[in-house]
Amino acid sequence: MPPIIHADRCTHCGMCATICPMNIFKHEKGQTPKVAYPEECWHCNACVLDCPAHAVELRLPLNYMVLHVDADTLHA
Amino acid sequence: MLEFNAPLSTDVLVVGGGIGGLCAAIASARTGARTMVAEKADTRRSGSGATGNDHFACYYPKAHGSDIRVILKELRQSLVGAYHDEKLSLRFLEESIHMVDRWQEWGINMKPFGDDYEFMGHAYPGRPRIWLKYDGHNQKQVLTRQAKKEGVEIVNHLPVIDLIEMDGEIAGALALDVSKDTPTFTVIRARKVVLSTGTANRLYPAAGSPGWPFNTAFCPACTGAAQAQAWRIGAKMVNMEMPNRHAGPKFFARAGKSTWIGVYRYPNGKLLGPFVDRATRYVGDITCDVWNSAYTDVLLNGSGPAYIDCTQTKPEDLAFMREGMISEGLTTLVDYMDRTGLDVSRHAVEFMQYEPHIIGRGLEIDIDGQTSVPGLYAAGDMVGNFRADIAGAAVYGWIAGGHAGASAASCELKNAETSPWVAERAQLYSSFVERESGAAWKEANLAVQQIMDSYAAAGPHRLRSATLLTAGLKYMADLRKNAINEISVPDAHSLMRAIETLDLMDNGEIVMHAALERKETRGMHQRSDYTFTNPLLSDKFLEVWQENGTVRTEWRQCWN
Repeated sequence: MPPIIHADRCTHCGMCATICPMNIFKHEKGQTPKVAYPEECWHCNACVLDCPAHAVELRLPLNYMVLHVDADTLHA
Repeated sequence: MLEFNAPLSTDVLVVGGGIGGLCAAIASARTGARTMVAEKADTRRSGSGATGNDHFACYYPKAHGSDIRVILKELRQSLVGAYHDEKLSLRFLEESIHMVDRWQEWGINMKPFGDDYEFMGHAYPGRPRIWLKYDGHNQKQVLTRQAKKEGVEIVNHLPVIDLIEMDGEIAGALALDVSKDTPTFTVIRARKVVLSTGTANRLYPAAGSPGWPFNTAFCPACTGAAQAQAWRIGAKMVNMEMPNRHAGPKFFARAGKSTWIGVYRYPNGKLLGPFVDRATRYVGDITCDVWNSAYTDVLLNGSGPAYIDCTQTKPEDLAFMREGMISEGLTTLVDYMDRTGLDVSRHAVEFMQYEPHIIGRGLEIDIDGQTSVPGLYAAGDMVGNFRADIAGAAVYGWIAGGHAGASAASCELKNAETSPWVAERAQLYSSFVERESGAAWKEANLAVQQIMDSYAAAGPHRLRSATLLTAGLKYMADLRKNAINEISVPDAHSLMRAIETLDLMDNGEIVMHAALERKETRGMHQRSDYTFTNPLLSDKFLEVWQENGTVRTEWRQCWN
């Protein structure tokens, strides 16, 4: 469920909620923001980049796997 | 009825604080006009340029020589080159380097490699390169800071949801305050309005993840608001029927394919295209800019999949590519590769063609960026007769904002809140909140996607026809009626999504009306009942608009 906020590091500043292009967070003053609309995440990484406490991590859903092969198979 | 806040007033209202909107706002403020940006999210990180970009189309006489038409030819043969009124392209090219200078001055690094501008990527071997390579990772923060410095008022979390026209000219806009859980309305009175709402996504099922509308290459908060709102007040659109599909890694939809430095190969190692057998930072493999449908074609004819192979790219160019991905805002992808061990020096990544979305199609503008509605301007990805992506938004934003600002003083500020249109729209949107239970907005969005995919499909290998499009229009009208009668939303956020979905219905209908009228096959608009390309239409654009509830269409000559 992207993104993941590590409550132990979160300083409750609300920056992730403020800057999210998709408005997916809900934030009450003094609390760790909640990911209220996880399915609407664009996975742009803005929350990760802008968190001053480095408390946000972004997990890509399984269906976003980046398909790849060993390039040697193309050169055989 | 939801509550109304006290009306706001400004000389120039800019709708959407993306690259086009912020550049428009700065230009407007410099004319002395009071300027306000109403932004759906937060301008520091909103829109498709939220976390960065790295290619800026530009004519730089020092590098390109004095003949602008040489560069015009490259622009027209690039991935953004279709469907231009060339007099707009020329004005863009003439002014482009000045915008680059401004961005450099404001703090976006347009010269990351030394003392001068460098041009790399999206290039044909042996031909002039027109894409200035820059480091845009902080572009939105810089433009936001500059706009504030110039006196622009930025109101975040205030998406505009309808435009207000009075006595035949623009009078302002109705906005939705989504900063709290309970939504409220705000009318913004304005002498001039500049639309800059970006691409229209979520109109077709996400190609990588059908049923999952937010896996899109471009920002999924951008849903064709400008086209829909302007359509509702009678503005002319062009080229809406011409589909565009982007491409990139599979299944994580992301733009920026020219940031990858590699060559495209079939599984047996054969190159897809004829352009290069080894990619460099200067000239990558442009095959898929030219053969846009490549990844779909090779999948459907069984010869695929197609991969980007970076393994023969020099190590210094691979390091350069990684930096480029950060400039382009692809840090999610970089982090993912680091975390999972995906290594482009060893692995080949499959690419795919994404679903159709609307970019470079939509509002018809004149040489100053003004639409067919007096006082209403448009700049950026939702313009239908000119396209140059980031650079196009920045430069034409500047042109439109400057013109709007300079001419604002001659217009009267009207009491836009008294328009019956405001009451009508507010009542509709309020009904979604007042309804205690019902349909979720997402049901309606998925229904829009299903209808578009079935009845207004884009090529390759998918056809449109008069019977399909007519059926699609009927079903979209049925959906609209059902959605209006059944949608129920619990909060401001969901109301915003529901309104986006209504905007998508308008976009879908514009596409289908125009597609019906274009009785030929061209690009990815492929008609089973008109299988040929009509040369008589090659230098014509199809205008489509509403007049007193009736859809009108007209062919016009391109402006060269």
